[in-house]
Amino acid sequence: MSLSSRMIIVLTTVGLISGGFLAGVAKLTEERIALNIQAEIEEAIAEVVDNAEVNQKVYEEEDLVIYRELDEEGALAGFAVQATGVGFQDKITLMFGLDASLTKITGLTVIDQNETPGLGAKIEDWNSFLQFWENKDATGQLTLRKPAARTPEELSAAEINTITAATISSKKVLEIVNLSLEKVRQLIQEGKIAKEEQDGD
Amino acid sequence: MATKSIGQEYLKGLWDENPVFRQLLGMCPTLAVTGTVITGMAMALATTFVLIFSSLVVSSIKKLIPSQVRIATYIVVIASFVTIADQFLKAYFYSISEALGPYVPLIVVNCIILGRQEAFSSKNSVGRSLIDALGMSSGFVLALFVLSAIRELLGAGTFLGYQVMGPWFKPWIIMILPAGAFITLGVLLGIALLIESKTKRSQ
Repeated sequence: MSLSSRMIIVLTTVGLISGGFLAGVAKLTEERIALNIQAEIEEAIAEVVDNAEVNQKVYEEEDLVIYRELDEEGALAGFAVQATGVGFQDKITLMFGLDASLTKITGLTVIDQNETPGLGAKIEDWNSFLQFWENKDATGQLTLRKPAARTPEELSAAEINTITAATISSKKVLEIVNLSLEKVRQLIQEGKIAKEEQDGD
Repeated sequence: MATKSIGQEYLKGLWDENPVFRQLLGMCPTLAVTGTVITGMAMALATTFVLIFSSLVVSSIKKLIPSQVRIATYIVVIASFVTIADQFLKAYFYSISEALGPYVPLIVVNCIILGRQEAFSSKNSVGRSLIDALGMSSGFVLALFVLSAIRELLGAGTFLGYQVMGPWFKPWIIMILPAGAFITLGVLLGIALLIESKTKRSQ
């Protein structure tokens, strides 16, 4: 057998075996990976909207997904907004909750981020950042408080705390939320998100 | 090389030919994911898995591979095991996989793995290649553990996520940034060389 045909046969065989093997592995893990992602989203929703039992996707575009949340009895518990935007290092995906009247942010949590460990990555941290996102005004632009306040009570309803030494990451999160809030308000005006459950929906 | 005993074959990876401290290979994961012990160890174990299985496969098919396409074949084998490791982490250790981000797929280009195939598995028996892979992996695990433990302890005051430093301790944020990785690695390399020269002189 000539050398070139041996080279072709060996590489093709190795490629085929490895491809077949990987297809099998992908098949085996596919379901679990999808479940993990789903569980992550559901967990994030549960953190930001109280009593959310049923998630209904009401709006979806590339970087913005809105869920209507119903409680155990089927009454409206609020809305959950999943938004993705540019952070300091990489894209940040976060989830925030809105109350049933769409006027108040009930909480925020970060689903995915690659900010600087120890600094920007604190946007995931409850004590340094997330606790300052409860009960915020969702009807206008939110602003950043700098230098940082120590307790949530020191901030006004439209103010968000800055993480010390991670101003840019804090600001990026704020921008993502402000942009998606704008979009949410626009969608309400266009009648695409109803505050009340519509008949026949 | 063939004169080495099994024990020596294993132990050389831990110190004499430690992939990080002596061969300076695999610097990308060594520097990038050692901010915390958990991510460092997850990376080290994923690399261990890929190294061991690649060495087993490469050493058992070494006679079939024409030398002109050997590197390409090694890379296909390595990339397959890396993808398996990545899928497995995503399925069963989702949060660790999120924390490691793009560094799991990047194990493909970790020179420790390709280097061992080229330097060892392609010339030695399956058994010896396994011992060699185990030794090199242990050396890599050891190096990443020391590096990440120092960085996490000084950079965050924690170990494996548990607070160990008292409230008096102010974290050295630089230690979890890339600069801290270089500084720690540099100091450790210096210490390794110092020990080496001391033991040589005493012999």
